[in-house]
Amino acid sequence: MRRLPPIGHIIFILAVLLTGFLIENTYYFQLLVFVGIHTLLALGLNMLMGYAGQISLGHAAFYGIGAYTTAILTATYGFSPWAALPCAVLLASAVAYVVGLPTLKLSGYYLGMGTLGFGMIGFIVFREWSSLTGGSSGFVGIPPLEIGPVSFYSGRSYFFLVWTVVLGIIILCRRLIDSRTGRALRSIHDSEKASRAIGVDTMALKLRVFVFSAAVAALAGFLYAHFVTFISPGTFDFLASVRMVTMVVIGGMASVWGALLGAFLLTLLPEWLHAFSEFEMVVYGLILMGVMIVLPRGLFRGLLDVFEGAREQTAKRSGGVNGR
Amino acid sequence: MVDNPNGPLLAVQSVSKSFGGVQALSDITFDVDPGMVMGLIGPNGAGKTTLFNVVTGAYPADTGDIIFEGIRVPGRKIHQVVGLGVARTFQNVELFESMTVLENVMVGRHIRTRSGFWGAMTRLPGVLREEKEIRDRSLDLLSFVGLQDEAHRQSGDLPFGWQRLLEIARALASDPKLLLLDEPAAGLNAVETGQLGELLERIRDLGVTLMLVEHDMSLTMKVSDRIVVLDQGRMLAQGTPREVQSDEAVMAAYLGGGHASN
Amino acid sequence: MQEVLQYLFSGLTNGAIYAVIAVGFSMLYSATDLINFAHGEFVMLGSLFLVTLWGAWQIPLPIAFLLTVACVALTGLLFERFAIRTVRKPQPIVLVIITVGASIFLRGVAMILWGKDAYSLPPFSNQPPLELAGATLLIQSVWIIVISLLLVFGLHLFYRRTLTGKAMQATAISKRAAWITGIPAGLMVLLAFVMSTGVGAVAGMIIAPVTMCSYDMGTLLGLKGFCAAMLGGIGSLWGALLGGILLGVLEALGVGLISSALKDGVAFILLLLILYFRPGGLIGAAESARF
Repeated sequence: MRRLPPIGHIIFILAVLLTGFLIENTYYFQLLVFVGIHTLLALGLNMLMGYAGQISLGHAAFYGIGAYTTAILTATYGFSPWAALPCAVLLASAVAYVVGLPTLKLSGYYLGMGTLGFGMIGFIVFREWSSLTGGSSGFVGIPPLEIGPVSFYSGRSYFFLVWTVVLGIIILCRRLIDSRTGRALRSIHDSEKASRAIGVDTMALKLRVFVFSAAVAALAGFLYAHFVTFISPGTFDFLASVRMVTMVVIGGMASVWGALLGAFLLTLLPEWLHAFSEFEMVVYGLILMGVMIVLPRGLFRGLLDVFEGAREQTAKRSGGVNGR
Repeated sequence: MVDNPNGPLLAVQSVSKSFGGVQALSDITFDVDPGMVMGLIGPNGAGKTTLFNVVTGAYPADTGDIIFEGIRVPGRKIHQVVGLGVARTFQNVELFESMTVLENVMVGRHIRTRSGFWGAMTRLPGVLREEKEIRDRSLDLLSFVGLQDEAHRQSGDLPFGWQRLLEIARALASDPKLLLLDEPAAGLNAVETGQLGELLERIRDLGVTLMLVEHDMSLTMKVSDRIVVLDQGRMLAQGTPREVQSDEAVMAAYLGGGHASN
Repeated sequence: MQEVLQYLFSGLTNGAIYAVIAVGFSMLYSATDLINFAHGEFVMLGSLFLVTLWGAWQIPLPIAFLLTVACVALTGLLFERFAIRTVRKPQPIVLVIITVGASIFLRGVAMILWGKDAYSLPPFSNQPPLELAGATLLIQSVWIIVISLLLVFGLHLFYRRTLTGKAMQATAISKRAAWITGIPAGLMVLLAFVMSTGVGAVAGMIIAPVTMCSYDMGTLLGLKGFCAAMLGGIGSLWGALLGGILLGVLEALGVGLISSALKDGVAFILLLLILYFRPGGLIGAAESARF
């Protein structure tokens, strides 16, 4: 199941085109833009968690670095967004490198804690450095994106922009997974001991994928900031980091399509749950627990398992894939 | 294959290593000449696996030195030691279970290939060429150990004996000059052990020097040119299989002369 | 100098609370290797139950105190029984998400039961504040410090002196070995959940008179208690106490002497420092320092 043919990409493109031209409702476009941005976050984090097997509970900080960098550069200093984009991505990458160097030496829960600490510090910086970030009341006046005469002001145009970027990142991720580097990454996930013994410089590789996922998160932050044009620290708090992890795990780790599925569900779920009004959080929590209890390998793989199980009753699918 | 025909391929020089209060290795010295098969035997807890870990750079030695082709191993990272041409397998088979058989061997080529993050994303012609090279070489190695028909199976689904062969193929993929095998026959039946002995001969014919820890005495005595005997971290004897078999200290250790822990 | 003493007092008060939260984290971690991200929510439940039982229904404090512990511990028991134990192949990441799910769930339940308002409670007793060298120590601070010390000391005795305590320690070291010697490991894990959440409730109750109690108070408290546990050395009772006090004092000094922007940052900066330089925590080398 690892190697879905490019037919997946074609279906993806068709689905995006169809949705883009059939939908008229601005609200839906807005929602789908958020799904796209969350998909980017999940894709980047999935490379780190699903493939390299390293957890991060602080990725919202990179998301925030992307958003705040572009906000400050464009609104405060009058940069063009397209000049701010590389700055945002580079800054997030540089921070990821410096933070990752000591943090990725940790493993398991300790790594989770280290990244959690970093994420909280990021959030506190966004909130407290008010001369630069606007503090807890937020940052207003981020300009929308334009390329020459094309302005990405409408929901539809931004929808196409975001989902084109998503497609690009999906292709990059899949190329990465199926490469020398990707195999080495996956080998760390399965057995770091053997990976090192066969000559993989696991520390350097973990650091590189950490930087990659931070860069993707910063890209998502850039797209977010220029879409909503107003950002506040609450978007990048601990719960945001946890939500990113949840998207990856709920969708199914080590699967690009799982990340997409996870982002879809976790973005749309709160919208559906509005119907429950005050029971919203209760139901959300229950769904989260329920999915993990029933399908610990995530929805994508979990449903595939159920499907395959029904098709070939005799299969001994005791779960050799992610079974650790 | 032999770069310095006059010197040993590997020189272990008075290596000691302790964990807490336990002296795992004390003052071990021996040479491994190019092209030979060196057997390493001794009761459980004799320090054989520790010695492997020290030679491959997984643990630093407390004192002593390890010279591989005239280059000092201590102070180098494991992947650098693999780069020098030292590969190993594990006692409990450590495969990448979520990956296919072929991919496992392809990871083995990691240290001999170059393309990185950017290469993977851009897929320039050079990268694709290297990818094909990795694949071809890995398929060859699978044929070499007889697993060519299993290339696309999930490696975790292979029967245990084949997992051992796959692990050897993966180690060979790094073009080692010295291959350390940690109990390659453990868990194999008699037929498989026989095939393994034959495989080891063929690996030696490739010009790869072998060092193996093994409890199966008939296999060890058959394939080894020289044997080092360890007991409780000390070196008890070394010599040809015949010499070792008639060594009194070895007999004492193995036949219950005082402290056979086995 | 007076100021510094005043900071020290408020630091000790907060520190004692962090210590109790850290103890709860630590107890559960050493018994089950699980980091419970819902722990802060059990602290919150402790506060809010006390608000209702003592504040609203006027039940005498000692009885309300015990009832609260019982209610929260029961919630912890149900959580273990119905969420944690039902996971078939417990991968750490799956368990983390389940505890996160539980924290959202509990927050949601609290929001329905208590609404979004914040409540406050009077101190446990009505004595005037103590004056010490020009600095004042609130009477509730005395309660907080005394109760947390008694709690830690009591737990110490429990682990050292009682058979159940020893059995729990044995289970923490090796579930398998404990099982072989006839210790019901499953029951011990359940007990660890009950005790850990009960201790969380205590933290919630003693903090209630000095803070605003609301359904969303638990998250940050939980995270800080967790930092305190890591600081002292997770799995160690005295480490949790030391980590809590140290965190509280450094936080108070940082806010008082440097900048109030540091209020929430100190905990996480300390967390990173300890992880980088002494991952086992201040007390001992992880393993040997278990309770």
